[in-house]
Amino acid sequence: MEPSSFLNELWMARSALGAGLICTIGVSAAAISGGTLLGLLLGVSLAEGPMPLRFVCRAYVDLLRGTPVLVLVLAAFYVPSTFGLNLDALSAGILALTLFCGAHVGEIVRGALQSIPPGQTEAGRSIGLTYPQILAYVLLPQAFRAILPTWINTGAELVKASSLLSIIGVGDVLLKVQEIIGRNFLSLDFYMLAGACYLAINFAIEQFGKAAERRLAPQ
Amino acid sequence: MSPLLEIKGLHKRFHGVEVLKGVDLSLNQREVVSIIGSSGSGKTTLLRCVNLLEEFEGGEIILDRESIGYRGTGSGRKRLPDRELSRQRAMTGMVFQGFHLFPHLTAAGNVMLGLRKVRRMERAEARALADTWLAKVGLGNRADHFPGQLSGGQQQRVAIARALAMNPKLVLLDEITSALDPELVQEVLQTVKALASEGATLLIVTHEMRFARDVSHRIVFMEQGRIAEEGPPAEIFGAPKNARLVEFLRSSRD
Repeated sequence: MEPSSFLNELWMARSALGAGLICTIGVSAAAISGGTLLGLLLGVSLAEGPMPLRFVCRAYVDLLRGTPVLVLVLAAFYVPSTFGLNLDALSAGILALTLFCGAHVGEIVRGALQSIPPGQTEAGRSIGLTYPQILAYVLLPQAFRAILPTWINTGAELVKASSLLSIIGVGDVLLKVQEIIGRNFLSLDFYMLAGACYLAINFAIEQFGKAAERRLAPQ
Repeated sequence: MSPLLEIKGLHKRFHGVEVLKGVDLSLNQREVVSIIGSSGSGKTTLLRCVNLLEEFEGGEIILDRESIGYRGTGSGRKRLPDRELSRQRAMTGMVFQGFHLFPHLTAAGNVMLGLRKVRRMERAEARALADTWLAKVGLGNRADHFPGQLSGGQQQRVAIARALAMNPKLVLLDEITSALDPELVQEVLQTVKALASEGATLLIVTHEMRFARDVSHRIVFMEQGRIAEEGPPAEIFGAPKNARLVEFLRSSRD
């Protein structure tokens, strides 16, 4: 295959690729933000919640972490419709990734919270802080610092996992590339291009993570 | 005048083991009382009960005419809700053996947290008060340092400033020099002596006998969950009556 024809095809497919990139980034960003929020709630409940709540959260986290992402994606797409709730592919995909991400972040947050010495909570109590205040001003700021590298890692994993949404018809980078290849049969070139897109996104995430770590580095 | 702190018949058990077996102790305003005794005698637990870091099964703690930690008596006795406990905890200040400074905040940040979130002060006002207290404990030039950049003695003095800035009615000092290198002990004890001479009400658990003798109005000797003897320093150290106290004093002199 001559390079000129690849560049030619690339130019013709530019808007489709752009849309796919935006879709992949958007889906990942939505799932990471939603999953982080969910994970915070889960992590705090797991580390500090009353027994019944802890039990429910533990069951949820173990179930989700033990299920392949592809199964979650398919389940999110097909199961709700049996209850008469029709999610489009995009919503189902984001839902599946959010639930998955939440379980992972929940486990990370739990670990970080439990590694903080109990003296920190007692010191907060002794100056009259209420428990939610201790969580917000003493425990979580320390936990954030500890979870940052693992959290960034989870984000990168999630970007890669988002490629599974192409199976239920979400127009992400992978699906767009497959459509383009269907037209021009340049499979090697365009699959490499798809790989390069994921690499670029994750490289950016990693750089962001390093910058954040430097900023938060303990004195 | 009624005492500032009144502990009546305090009972506390850990997993079935009784560690406080009916402790009665009262403390007047501006009084400095040191509790001495061997480890496991219940001194620290007693302090932690007053700061409501521990629950207790029997007896009553009254601080400034207010019953602490519980409402009602007998079978109708109930732990107060979290918000009430927090309010009562802010009436006492506690300094811990292990400092427990917040590592993500500067020295000033450590002192300001309670002022901002509990006392609801404006940032500038809280900062000014934090600076005042840090200067008072001799750390005026360390306000923007993080705990990790301070020595143990400096960290403990920040912890003292953090407790005192909240303007507590009573300050609890729990073996505050036990985790320090020997050469750093004196700077912390000097800080406490200065507080005592300014009229702070202090309840101290300590192994520093000379310090206890110098700073206290009264010494309490605890033995196996009970107060075995109490009195003015001169009496406790000069003419101890309880056999266990005599033994304890001899062993701590070595």
